Amino acid sequence: MKLMKSVILVAALVLFVGSTAAAQEMTKDEWQKQMTEFTAKRNQLKSNLTAIQAEVDKLKKEDAALAAAVKKCNDDLMALVGADAAAERAFAAKLDEIDAKINELSRLSNQDLWARKGEIDDVQKMLDEVKKNKLSALSKYYERIKEQQNRLDALKKTLETAQLAMTYTVGTWAKDRDCLWNIAKKPKIYDNAFLWPKIWQGNKDKIKNPDVIKKGQVLSIPPKADLTKEEKAAVRSYWNKKKAAEQPAAAPAKQ
Amino acid sequence: MKKSLAGYFVAGALLATLATGCTSRPNAEELKQLEDLKAEITSLERQIAAKQSEAAALQKAIADKQAQLAQCEKEKALVQERLKGM
Repeated sequence: MKLMKSVILVAALVLFVGSTAAAQEMTKDEWQKQMTEFTAKRNQLKSNLTAIQAEVDKLKKEDAALAAAVKKCNDDLMALVGADAAAERAFAAKLDEIDAKINELSRLSNQDLWARKGEIDDVQKMLDEVKKNKLSALSKYYERIKEQQNRLDALKKTLETAQLAMTYTVGTWAKDRDCLWNIAKKPKIYDNAFLWPKIWQGNKDKIKNPDVIKKGQVLSIPPKADLTKEEKAAVRSYWNKKKAAEQPAAAPAKQ
Repeated sequence: MKKSLAGYFVAGALLATLATGCTSRPNAEELKQLEDLKAEITSLERQIAAKQSEAAALQKAIADKQAQLAQCEKEKALVQERLKGM
């Protein structure tokens, strides 16, 4: 009897659990409800997708039209300056060359800059040449050329300032042993006595006879460099005059 | 007392079984329909998200090109002005 009771209880328990599990499964009504709900959602999403696709197509057209407009504007711009891509590349290369020259000159000491002052004029000529090119009207080059001109002007200014700054006030022969030869020999001047004609030629307005300089005279000192043709010629002329002046005096002495 | 409790329990289990056994349920094909519908919805949501990203990228590209065009037009006017002075 006890066994029978237990069997009935277990069977009832199995039936109960089974029926509970079945009750958790979806009913037909629930399925229908979900189908209706999801179908509506799917249709709404399809409609949204169609709308956004239309928007994307419209945006693509707008983007393409703008790309064409930008290209046309750039082409018009190049037509205005009458240049093609190759000409523009050559122009940009010229500007690079000018930049490199200015950079090189900017790194020089004042004396070296003076010695190479001709190169500043050369760069100015190059710059004047590029300014004549219509491509220089394009902003990207216009601003760059302006900056190059400013840098070149600064170099010219440096040169002028350096020239003004290099002066020497003549002392006395008795105390300072100042003559053009000795002044040129000074380490702070040229450290080379043979460059004395440079001081002479640089002060032609003050020095008529290179053997005569006066105490208190302020001489400008041209930057150190080899003697120029003119300076060498002046030295030859000086020695010739000196010899000529000495000969009549020497002749009587032989007698 | 014990006997009646077991009887109630058995009767309840039988009733529950009968009740669930009588309810109509979707068949396998119908359940598949529902699953397919859900999958379609997920796919549509992904496509919409992708299109929204594409639209946003296009809007940015358009804004960039509008700026480029405005800059180019301005540059054209400037160049014409500078060329007059050359």
